[in-house]
Amino acid sequence: MTRTKLLAAAATAALIGVGSAGGAQAATICFAFQDLETEFWIAGHKAITTTLTEAGHTVIERNANEDANRQFEQVRDCIAQGVDGIILIPQDGESAVTIVAEAQDNDVPIAVFNRPPSDLSRGIVVVADNAAIAEQAVDYLVEEALAAAPAGETLTPLIVVGDLGDPNAVGRKEGFYAAIEKHADRFATPIEVASEWDAATALANLEAAVTANPDIDLLFTSSDFLFPTIRSVLEPRGMWKRRGEEGHVLMGGLDGDATACQLIKEGYVDATGVQDLYFEAESAMDAILAAIEAGEAQPNQVIEDPGFALTAANLGEREMDMWGCVLLSEGFLRN
Amino acid sequence: MSPLGARTLGRSPSEVALDLALRHATYLIFLAVILYFGIQSPAFLAPESLGNVVKQASFIGIAAIGMTFVLLTGGIDLSVGSVMYLAPLIAGFAMEAFGLGVPAGLVVAVCAGAVLGAINALFIVRFDVIPFIVTLATLFLFRGFGTWLTSSRQFDFAPEMRAFGLSSVLGIPTPILVFAVVALAAHVVLSRTPFGRQIYALGNDAEGARKAGVRVGVVKGSVYVVSSASAALAGFVLIAQIGRLDAAFGEGREFDVIAAAVLGGASLFGGVGSAWGAVIGATLIQTVKLGLVFAGVNLYLQPIMQGLIIFVAVLADSLRQRRIAISRRRHIRPSA
Repeated sequence: MTRTKLLAAAATAALIGVGSAGGAQAATICFAFQDLETEFWIAGHKAITTTLTEAGHTVIERNANEDANRQFEQVRDCIAQGVDGIILIPQDGESAVTIVAEAQDNDVPIAVFNRPPSDLSRGIVVVADNAAIAEQAVDYLVEEALAAAPAGETLTPLIVVGDLGDPNAVGRKEGFYAAIEKHADRFATPIEVASEWDAATALANLEAAVTANPDIDLLFTSSDFLFPTIRSVLEPRGMWKRRGEEGHVLMGGLDGDATACQLIKEGYVDATGVQDLYFEAESAMDAILAAIEAGEAQPNQVIEDPGFALTAANLGEREMDMWGCVLLSEGFLRN
Repeated sequence: MSPLGARTLGRSPSEVALDLALRHATYLIFLAVILYFGIQSPAFLAPESLGNVVKQASFIGIAAIGMTFVLLTGGIDLSVGSVMYLAPLIAGFAMEAFGLGVPAGLVVAVCAGAVLGAINALFIVRFDVIPFIVTLATLFLFRGFGTWLTSSRQFDFAPEMRAFGLSSVLGIPTPILVFAVVALAAHVVLSRTPFGRQIYALGNDAEGARKAGVRVGVVKGSVYVVSSASAALAGFVLIAQIGRLDAAFGEGREFDVIAAAVLGGASLFGGVGSAWGAVIGATLIQTVKLGLVFAGVNLYLQPIMQGLIIFVAVLADSLRQRRIAISRRRHIRPSA
């Protein structure tokens, strides 16, 4: 058995084990998610539904198609059907607060996966510390940039920011700044580029930003899914180079998806902050099943995913800890 | 005496100047925006930057030209964002399955868009369902179909796709050339053909057009085919630059497209608008967006400033329309 298969089998076994251990009785779980538009959400959805189903639980899936009001109604419908618990991936932090309150007011335990409510005091909240994960990734980029640059040279960093209505995007931006500000004397004011989590918006804005500021030394994208867009902007300008090649722009991202894994291996990207998807899925399911088993209707708990940074330096040791590298090894990417 | 000359008779110079300013309000705001951002960041006025504005405007602009056809008839097409996603996706599958090249893929995308538009047209014309409801339904239907086809995964095109998207002819980027060809063709169709005149006639007075012998159903259905085919082409041109189609691609873009067409002078009530106006509208919006990036404006302030500038442009256009309407009223008594 290859190392990949061994790790995948271990992850699945661990998740199934959690599912079985968490609830001796078969439960009906409502899984309400906002959409499945990135690799992360697809992988998270698969991990949760497969594990729960294989453990003998019934999963009622509800896709809100990015509509917070629809998601609220879907959750109310789940409650009316008498589900034992709810796992929620909300559209945004504010709507999550309303949905959690609705579930708890009806004595249905609820766990919020990955996208935290604005108020963390109610419900089971499994959340990646986006700021800390981003900071780890950018710390590596900063070290590499400072090591390569002549002393006294001021470096120009750029951040592609996500949708500022999404707390994950805000956290990632804060983490980026935290890393840069540790060496504020060596960095110019960062160039901020809005993406609104949209490839077309990112393409237009990044092209403008790079035209206005062609001497970028370090680029951080708040989500790995934008790397193909970044490539489209940098490549025609001769700025899409592998590590060690003249003109290489130090690049990092966050998510830990299959594209990022491939690009780190190829040498175009230097680091990415990784949300530990399997830990988060396992924690959400473990907590909700434990609450159901204990008859606890309004469990409140914050479970934090510390994440880690996969870098060019630790690729050999930590590659298969990143969910995107597992997907890549399974042939997730077409080309 | 020209109509303009007749209308300016008996007016003070300031009134004439105001009239002229309102008539060309969109262009003046466009110029003011370019100058403002040029002062904020001189690099914005560099040919590469301005070319980039037009290139990035091509995505919304091509779709806005198609949307103008629909708006001219008094209709609306909310499905364009989903067509931008689904049609290139169908083309991608066809390219992969049959080994088609990029030009053939482009043709497939446009044809797929036309078929999707024909579905809209079928329900609007044959079943007489209002366009808002039909296209709202197909907005979800088309995207849902695409999401089902891909299982929410991204679709990666062959490297030739990006080579096409990033290519240029005589130094002019391909997206700009496509934008120009579409704009010119649409301008000719709207202003020089019977079909174009029938679209305006339908938008101004559907019953009158029917009595005049216009095949209202055919014209009304055709504009939805044009709109969807344009959206498909717009989506293909942008995807060609990235090489990857994400499940969220095109989402919410219907609002940008409608805004560009309206900003370019198209009326939501039909009968007023032009292809050239859609080009100006899309380019103005993109100029504002990219100008804010060049000026390094705080990200939280950017949407506010975008909204304000677009609001001012639409307000000026509204004042212009009102002033033109007033100036065209017949005077019962000659002014003293």
